[in-house]
Amino acid sequence: MAANFWASSHCKKLLDQEEVSQVLPADQERGFTPEDVKLIKIQFSSYIKSLGGHAKVRQRVIATAIAYFRRVYTRKSFSEYDPYLVAPTCLYLASKAEESTVQAKLLVFYMKKIPTDDKAHRYDIKDVLEMEMRLLEALDYYLVIYHPYRPLVQLLQDAGLTDITPCTWSLVNDTYRTDLILIYPPFMIALACIYIASVIKEKDTRLWFEELRVDMNVIKNIAMEILDFYDNYRQIPEDRINQALSKLPQRS
Amino acid sequence: MNPSSKVMCRYIKGVTLGEGTYGVVFKAIDRVTNRTVAVKKIRLGKYKEGVNVTALREIKLLKELHDPNIIELIDVYPHKRNLHLVFEFMESDLEAVIRDRNIVLSPADIKSYMQMTLKGLAVCHKKWVLHRDMKPNNLLLGPDGQLKLADFGLARIFGSPDRKFTHQVFARWYRAPELLFGSKLYGPGVDIWAAGCIFAELILRRPFLQGSSDIDQLGKIFGAFGTPRESQWPDMTALPDYVEYQYSPPQPFRSLFPTASEDCLDLLQRLFTYDPRSRISAQQALEHRYFFIEPAATRPQLLRRPPPRPEGPPKPLELKSPTEPFVFSPPNKARRVQLFGGDIRTAGEANRESSTQDFRDRGTPADAIMVPMSSDPKTALRPTLNSTDRTHLKRKLDMDLALQHTPRGLG
Repeated sequence: MAANFWASSHCKKLLDQEEVSQVLPADQERGFTPEDVKLIKIQFSSYIKSLGGHAKVRQRVIATAIAYFRRVYTRKSFSEYDPYLVAPTCLYLASKAEESTVQAKLLVFYMKKIPTDDKAHRYDIKDVLEMEMRLLEALDYYLVIYHPYRPLVQLLQDAGLTDITPCTWSLVNDTYRTDLILIYPPFMIALACIYIASVIKEKDTRLWFEELRVDMNVIKNIAMEILDFYDNYRQIPEDRINQALSKLPQRS
Repeated sequence: MNPSSKVMCRYIKGVTLGEGTYGVVFKAIDRVTNRTVAVKKIRLGKYKEGVNVTALREIKLLKELHDPNIIELIDVYPHKRNLHLVFEFMESDLEAVIRDRNIVLSPADIKSYMQMTLKGLAVCHKKWVLHRDMKPNNLLLGPDGQLKLADFGLARIFGSPDRKFTHQVFARWYRAPELLFGSKLYGPGVDIWAAGCIFAELILRRPFLQGSSDIDQLGKIFGAFGTPRESQWPDMTALPDYVEYQYSPPQPFRSLFPTASEDCLDLLQRLFTYDPRSRISAQQALEHRYFFIEPAATRPQLLRRPPPRPEGPPKPLELKSPTEPFVFSPPNKARRVQLFGGDIRTAGEANRESSTQDFRDRGTPADAIMVPMSSDPKTALRPTLNSTDRTHLKRKLDMDLALQHTPRGLG
């Protein structure tokens, strides 16, 4: 893995599951349940992904943007920070931080192209740029995010499993629909994805995992979390999403 | 009370220290810690592209880098739509030391400066950060004599496989040969080469290789160390802008640095290794015997410091690196060219104010000097290796090589 995750701010900023999934008081007041918050985060992670797809940014930019988005909402409420604006702004900021800037003008153009409800359509360049400053503050100016992708490639090579790369890679992509990136070191997430992929593809990796001497309980917890996502959230009924979104303040 | 006015109260604004390409820097007192700080105000680019990418890069990386030899980013706060970066206050920079003829740099002093420079670099490289703008002017000196790497506006995280970078980084005199040949896949070696240039500059008390164009820069490098042979640098011919240079033999290292000790020469030679892959790393350089034999490096607090910067312009903290992709040298660099462009015997006495004044009378920095190191973006005189250049390259090379026979540097 990237040599210095351990010395990074990302590592120091890792949170506990409880800190990540708590509903902030302001959101509780508006009646948000933990489940609502989870659904909204999944919804906007997908939104960032499709916006990133339109803007043709690297996977890494999308991953960083989603990590920013999720990190912001561990500290700021949905009531105060409108996710319809925060999500695209996260992508904008991530594109800069990952050195492949997407012009604000283009981003707003794609925002208007993606069919969502009208809420995302009323924001303009000015709003994105204003939110950028607030986001920076909300992130406490920590912008470097490590991802499981690089360790994944190295680990798969080491395990001699490069043939299951595509499957594992997609699994890693899907982990961004969860808060895992805020809780676990990226290489652990990569290992959990390898673990799942090796079961799906019927590869025997038991010995390899034993030799790694990592805490298999943690790996299994991560794997459980990923499987839970596939079991329960792969397809979310539209009315359920809308119900959660309807609790957002109506902004004029 | 809103948070931004709270932070504004925290820092009591003092005199303006200078103006950079993306904002003003002023001195301030931090009321919480009673520290003197330098606050860099980042102008937002007319509300088109939000927070300046250069500033963002600096914030992003300095938040990850904490070391006695790297400038400390104490705080960041927004105020009236401007972002403010709060740095520890630094008295001076290495360029001012090199230029100040009243300061004698003993071998022990030079060793101390190099050790601190390499320590800072080693930390960057260990965290996969390339500085990409190493020059004496970006090595700031604190009140306790500590040297700190500053201006991370061009710095980048490296290590992603196959990520291509721009080769238009560093002020030209500090650019490694692989950059001059257009390499886009480079590593920490580029910072190391620049460290070598700084080392040489400390010894010689003038910029070591003062090329007037990229081509001339390579000519100066080859004139000193000899044209690299295939065996010395096997990948050289594969570089994007590679051109064959007429062979010139290396000058004996001893003749380039007559006053340097054997170990000093050995380290210099390793820093100036052509093949970036065999060039010494910052960590290895710190373990070089040069740092372990007499004389011991001077303790930072005992290093002689130039008189404090005059208040008001000219500038403090670096801050003049413009945004990508081109790197232009700050005007004060040009000022130094002018300083040494004249008679070396009077150069030391040249008064800073008068030379700056001089300058204004003579129009742009580029007009004012015989050999512009580089130019202001607006004047657009800066030669780069573009395709037109390349077609005429042979001819120019002949010219450059002819020029080389005149004594270098001091003209």
